[in-house]
Amino acid sequence: MFAKRFVTVTPLLSRGLASTTEKAPLIKTFNIYRWSPDTPEEKPRLQEYKIDLNDCGPMVLDALLKIKNEQDATLTFRRSCREGICGSCAMNIGGRNTLACLCRIDRDTSKNTKIYPLPHMFVVRDLVPDLTHFYKQYKSIQPYLQRDTVPEDGKENLQSIADRKKLDGLYECILCACCSTSCPSYWWNQQEYLGPAVLMQAYRWLIDSRDEATHMRRELLQNSMSLYRCHTILNCTRTCPKGLNPGKAIAEIKKGLSLEG
Amino acid sequence: MLARVGLRSSRIVGSNIAASTAALHTSASRKVDIPFLKHYPQPPGYIVGTVNDAYVGPKPSHSHGSLHWSAEKVIAIGMVPLATIPFVTGSFAPVLDATFATFILAHSWIGFQSCIIDYIPTRVYGKQHDYAMWLLTFGTGIAAYGIYQIESNDVGITGLLKKLWTKPEEKK
Repeated sequence: MFAKRFVTVTPLLSRGLASTTEKAPLIKTFNIYRWSPDTPEEKPRLQEYKIDLNDCGPMVLDALLKIKNEQDATLTFRRSCREGICGSCAMNIGGRNTLACLCRIDRDTSKNTKIYPLPHMFVVRDLVPDLTHFYKQYKSIQPYLQRDTVPEDGKENLQSIADRKKLDGLYECILCACCSTSCPSYWWNQQEYLGPAVLMQAYRWLIDSRDEATHMRRELLQNSMSLYRCHTILNCTRTCPKGLNPGKAIAEIKKGLSLEG
Repeated sequence: MLARVGLRSSRIVGSNIAASTAALHTSASRKVDIPFLKHYPQPPGYIVGTVNDAYVGPKPSHSHGSLHWSAEKVIAIGMVPLATIPFVTGSFAPVLDATFATFILAHSWIGFQSCIIDYIPTRVYGKQHDYAMWLLTFGTGIAAYGIYQIESNDVGITGLLKKLWTKPEEKK
């Protein structure tokens, strides 16, 4: 009986968040990079969208979804987990590479928020960059355990707690490419320089106590391009949306290579 | 297919993508390229081979890798005492001064080398990369001769700096 009455009441309520109904609208302007491969003769442009922040979730991804749902279904971007664990929604928001799902909307409505795709990448459409080459580079460091011997118990490759701790701050990387695409050296030489994200993963496998291919992994980096295009600019560490430190990992690789000779 | 038809870069607008898009986007082309040098077209999306092949890096060379980096750091750190000791103590030792001058030269040689690798890479500029390197080596040679002159016949680097630092005599 209660359920029946509830059903009749529901259509009368507006669908938004209950607490926002009485607030005055807070209109925020977003300028979003648009480019479509369907119309290659048109230059990329910034398109303006206005959103009432009182009727929108707190993160930039919420705003993008709201725009796509309510204003412009052609706006294209990648998103998946909406909680900073998949790395799909990496983009340049307000001049900083970050994940749209982890970036709060600036509630200062006097300033526009500009959203671009990751800088210096080929654009597939709107906010979608082409990460093919990035993934090819990741593949080149052979990101998997390599051993010549089988584990003693025939089951697992065991690791001490201390050795496992060395991987903390490295394994959390989600390969969103925010750091690599913030690196000027990667902008100029991304064809040959591996970039901070991939190098941090290279380091993750170099220091893994279970891995036995350390020498081969170091040899892969022994040239002027793959590793040594890093000039310790440290944009990578500054921009990482997960708070990791690729700059330090690269410095550790350089130290390791130098000590090896 | 995507790479050939759709992809374009926010940096090099259509310069090394399909010719059809290059003709259409002309305003912001080749911002990072050096205009008077010839450059070679790059593969679409920078993809060499298929999308599933791993990237293949240059061949290993320790002299271009870790040894180069170690030398760079030794020189940079070595310059700190060589620069501060004469400055603080006011003493002058010709051998130390000559070492200091050589280190400065080596440091700038490595620095400019790095610039050439960054901005005139073989990948894009081919032989012109080598020409730039030879030019740098030639300039370094001339500078080395100049340093030899300053060290052997003049007052040395420290003395030269002292000369510049001194307040010129006021004309009466």
